[in-house]
Amino acid sequence: MTLFQPIFEISSDRRTRFAVEALSRGPAGSNAERADVLFEYVRRKGKEIEVDRACTSAALKAAAATAVECAVSINVHASTLERDDRWVEFLTEACAAHGVPLTRLILEIVEQQKFWDERRFFRTLEQLRWVGVRIAVDDIGLGYSNYRLLIEIRPEFFKIDPYFVTSCANKPEACAAIESIRVLADRLGGQVIAEGIESESDVRTLGCLGIHLLQGFYLAPPQTVAREHAMCAE
Amino acid sequence: MVPRLRLPSGMTAAAPDNERYRMLIVEDEFTVLFALRKYFAAAGYDVDSARELEEAQALIVTNQYHVVIADLRLSGSSAAEGLEVLRFVRHHSRGTKVVILTAYGSAEIQSSARVLGAAAFLQKPAPLPEIRATVLRLLEES
Repeated sequence: MTLFQPIFEISSDRRTRFAVEALSRGPAGSNAERADVLFEYVRRKGKEIEVDRACTSAALKAAAATAVECAVSINVHASTLERDDRWVEFLTEACAAHGVPLTRLILEIVEQQKFWDERRFFRTLEQLRWVGVRIAVDDIGLGYSNYRLLIEIRPEFFKIDPYFVTSCANKPEACAAIESIRVLADRLGGQVIAEGIESESDVRTLGCLGIHLLQGFYLAPPQTVAREHAMCAE
Repeated sequence: MVPRLRLPSGMTAAAPDNERYRMLIVEDEFTVLFALRKYFAAAGYDVDSARELEEAQALIVTNQYHVVIADLRLSGSSAAEGLEVLRFVRHHSRGTKVVILTAYGSAEIQSSARVLGAAAFLQKPAPLPEIRATVLRLLEES
């Protein structure tokens, strides 16, 4: 099942839908209903490519079925971009099949790894940019989302992990980390998306830090396709 | 006083801070899995289950369990994947008790399981009350 969670652009006087992130869930009542269990299982079975293709196709189909006109952000494993030689071809065909322009896509790279075939990974990124797809790096501040990775990928979007964002108004150290990521993004020509907004004080604090692309349960939880369609129509 | 869960036949399990004990059952035989799930859920445990090694590993990484009951052989293979479950649990969560359940337990396998840190080793077909008593003893020891 595909759910959509909106990403908002928030300024002092308005709030607009900037993008929606497509989130995959396994069958209700199964272990895979939780995304963390689902994808941990997928990685242990070495099936990232197959599952990423299936989830991407489902997300594009769902996006075509709603009134969504903003960008659509789809998660993809770094290992898929490294190992799937025909990923860009698949993506191009899937977008055409569902009538979703490639220029509306943001590919959100998740689960970056320590060791990878850099040549193939960066060739895929280059091809994606040729066809108009934008790139986001997820979970910044944790794991392998390090400065080298960010400098080499130069993503259009830097997604800061909820660990830093949630309740940041009460955590000066987290604000310092957020600010450092925002400065880096500015220098590399990217924009920051803060994920994990759970209060109005989070919104205000991030606004003071110069971050206006926000995502989180306080703004809108993940929603079914039908609900997203209804909200966009409103 | 620590609140106690009321179990069938008068047996009770200590529940620190009213927390239910979380259990993972790793078993590929449907009927055995069904019976164990139903029995321990009725006994007040919060039960998850997995039918293969990778599914068990995904659950262990993303959850905290008080006890894991694992069949020695999964997926009909001759390999003792239950020992791999044991090894994985010991690596990720040393406080979790692991009970190995098997119809194929040689003395050598049993010894390997003990060395790897199995808290108990039960021969199938073990009566459900015996499994429950073993689990309860292990949980109350920790």
